[in-house]
Amino acid sequence: MLCRPEEHRLSRRRFLGVAGTALGLGGLASPLVAEQLRKQRRQVLFIWLDGGMSQLESWDPKPNTPFGGPLRAIPTSVPGVHISETLPNCARVMEHLAIVRSVSTQDNSHSAGVDRIQRGDPKNRGVVYPYFGSAVAKLVGPGDSGLPPYIWVKPMAGGFVAKDAGFLGPKYGALALGDGKPPENLLRPPDLSAEEDAERDELRRRFDGYYSRQRRRDHTEANTQVFETAAQLQKQIELFDLSKLPPRDLERYGTHDLGRHLLLARRLLEAGVTFVKVTSYGWDSHGDHFNQVLSQHPKFDRPFAAVIEDLHDRGLLESVLVIVCAEFGRTPRINGHLGRDHWPEAWSVCMAGRGLRRGVVAGRTNATGTEVASEPVDIGGLFHTWYRALGIDPEQVQFRNAGQPLPIAHEDMGPVEEVLA
Amino acid sequence: MNPPPVRPPASAPSSSPPSSAPATAGAASPSPPSSAPPLPVPKELGRPLLPRTQLTRVRFSPDGQLLAAAAFDGTVKLWDLSGPEPVERSPVTGHHGWVCDLAFVGSTLLSVDSWGRLAATDVARTEPRPIWTVASAHDGWLRAVAVSRDGERLATCGRDGNLRLWNPRTGAKTGTFDLGTDLLSLCFSGDGRSLFVGDLFGTIHVVTLDGGRVARLTEAKEFHKADRIQDVGGVRGLLLAADAVTLFAFGAEPKGGGFVQAVPLLLVLDASNGRRIGRYRGADDNEGYVTDAAWHPDGFVAFTTSGQPGQGKFHLWKPDRPAPHFSGGKLPNCHSLAISPDGTRLAVSGTNANSSGNGRVRGMAGEYPVNYSPVQLWSLSRP
Repeated sequence: MLCRPEEHRLSRRRFLGVAGTALGLGGLASPLVAEQLRKQRRQVLFIWLDGGMSQLESWDPKPNTPFGGPLRAIPTSVPGVHISETLPNCARVMEHLAIVRSVSTQDNSHSAGVDRIQRGDPKNRGVVYPYFGSAVAKLVGPGDSGLPPYIWVKPMAGGFVAKDAGFLGPKYGALALGDGKPPENLLRPPDLSAEEDAERDELRRRFDGYYSRQRRRDHTEANTQVFETAAQLQKQIELFDLSKLPPRDLERYGTHDLGRHLLLARRLLEAGVTFVKVTSYGWDSHGDHFNQVLSQHPKFDRPFAAVIEDLHDRGLLESVLVIVCAEFGRTPRINGHLGRDHWPEAWSVCMAGRGLRRGVVAGRTNATGTEVASEPVDIGGLFHTWYRALGIDPEQVQFRNAGQPLPIAHEDMGPVEEVLA
Repeated sequence: MNPPPVRPPASAPSSSPPSSAPATAGAASPSPPSSAPPLPVPKELGRPLLPRTQLTRVRFSPDGQLLAAAAFDGTVKLWDLSGPEPVERSPVTGHHGWVCDLAFVGSTLLSVDSWGRLAATDVARTEPRPIWTVASAHDGWLRAVAVSRDGERLATCGRDGNLRLWNPRTGAKTGTFDLGTDLLSLCFSGDGRSLFVGDLFGTIHVVTLDGGRVARLTEAKEFHKADRIQDVGGVRGLLLAADAVTLFAFGAEPKGGGFVQAVPLLLVLDASNGRRIGRYRGADDNEGYVTDAAWHPDGFVAFTTSGQPGQGKFHLWKPDRPAPHFSGGKLPNCHSLAISPDGTRLAVSGTNANSSGNGRVRGMAGEYPVNYSPVQLWSLSRP
């Protein structure tokens, strides 16, 4: 069972309301109905700080200790909880956040660590597990947005990323929006009429059908889905035009990559996309770490706090699970080039939103940050936590891979109960 | 500390060891005549001093008998050098975070930290004696402190974008200039009436103190790179030679963030107008930043570099020469150096070997290791 039946229980009138619009909830006649449907959504904003954010300069500072570095800790909106001075806006919205400071994972290399974290590091059963985004796309589905269930907003190039889907098959891959832009050549060229375009599409469908009779079904399905996705995106192309937003939005989020991409993520979540991943590259601070932190963290801090506030103001923190994660944290030891190296042993993950308590800190490290001093939480435990927050019980729900039942999260682990609502 | 007057320029080729580090001199300087006296080369003085913490700055007292070292542990280590062997004295305490920079006025040591504290301490006696403290001289990281040559003016700058002036005797604030950008470095002009202030973006602000205004901006944009969402580099240090005309601005040409691949860079400028006179540019982008520099009375500059873990050296370079006349690579990842006022001693702080590593590395006793900064003393004598 992938969902509870009551989550799909709609009156006919509400159903017609949903069916009557191809543009998410914006066209619903009744704001009340739209609000109720929003609350039934299950969405994720997954922020990936590629290379590894330092827990000591973010969620778990240890000022005035041997590995604490030069920076200060500051109080937050939750009495008794302090975070790094590099995140003053996050401190302001701490009342909405849930931090796990006892994360301890298994891999200190980027090449393997990225996959192990995003796939949940399950037991090895000889299959490639899906990334969390693909898994949620499968388990939750595309919802009512008419948009792809898994959208990845990232710097540089975009495209369709099938590898994320693992054994689920390519149609659960990510639609990557390079630099937050819609796919190239998305719109119909002006010299091609709608009728001609429809004829071409019909011809394409026929060829696809002929081709698919002799090929693996999941590949042809994925191919068809790409065209359908393009058609959906054409209808909502205005989502990508941030220039029409209030100037204050642009100011609050910033004009740099991460700011623009988090603003787009908010727009996509408002439109009902199930899973939005935003990636920021360049967090692997082996050298001159503290100056990097001072330059880089504000560009996370401001738009992250803005998106938390905006989701809260719109009531969307009821339906959107927000996660800030990376492949690991950074070493307490400061190397000779004033950098911090890779550190999976004791780091932090920040979360907010659906299914979570607010303003809580779970787990702790020792006084110098070199050990987890409470029960360690591996990524499998975080997957349990995230699924539970989304209303998916990993004890009850399984994947099926060609008939083989597979747990959706590491079966020897459990959720971080302290952060679950 | 007032630098001693510059000596006449050397006019003969050095007989000191050739450097392997290629450098380029922007000014077309003829090779020194053969009659020039040879330049001093360093010779190790005993074993390194071994503080159990990493250091950010080392400085000699004006009489050369005391070595002060600013540390990651919020203290300033002190060594008495008046005897045959260095003797460690009680440290200066009371700081938070890292102590970032040091300056002397006579026996008064001025120290600043990354939490914004400025402190004056009398270090004439065995036990340091606090004179005055400004707990929040700046909001956050106080990057640099400098004293005018006559000892009458004291200046600080920090990440809060402010340049501040203080009475060195009382700690009273006498002026604030909001330059509105992350300030990394500063030094006084020779007459003490102007300040050169370097920022993260490769600009040197020349601030006249009497008029209270920015008189000139000297752009050195090769010190800065915008990499993804990170600003990398900056004018990490400024040093005025004894002639009060030759200004050294140092840092690196960054290639990117993260590992901070960067080619060491030291620009030689005319302090009166910002014109470029020459430059030292390191061999490759593993060498990293020029982290500190000091002027020698014989007319050369000594500077340290710190690159990829295990990289970095110190160099002695006369700006009219194409390359350093000495390069020392024994200590990796050098972060500071100082030359005693009489020019006879050099102190260089580096980093212990094997300072980097992913995951849970262990020390000899199974403990999680703390890195530290060995300080090597050298004599400087002509060969």
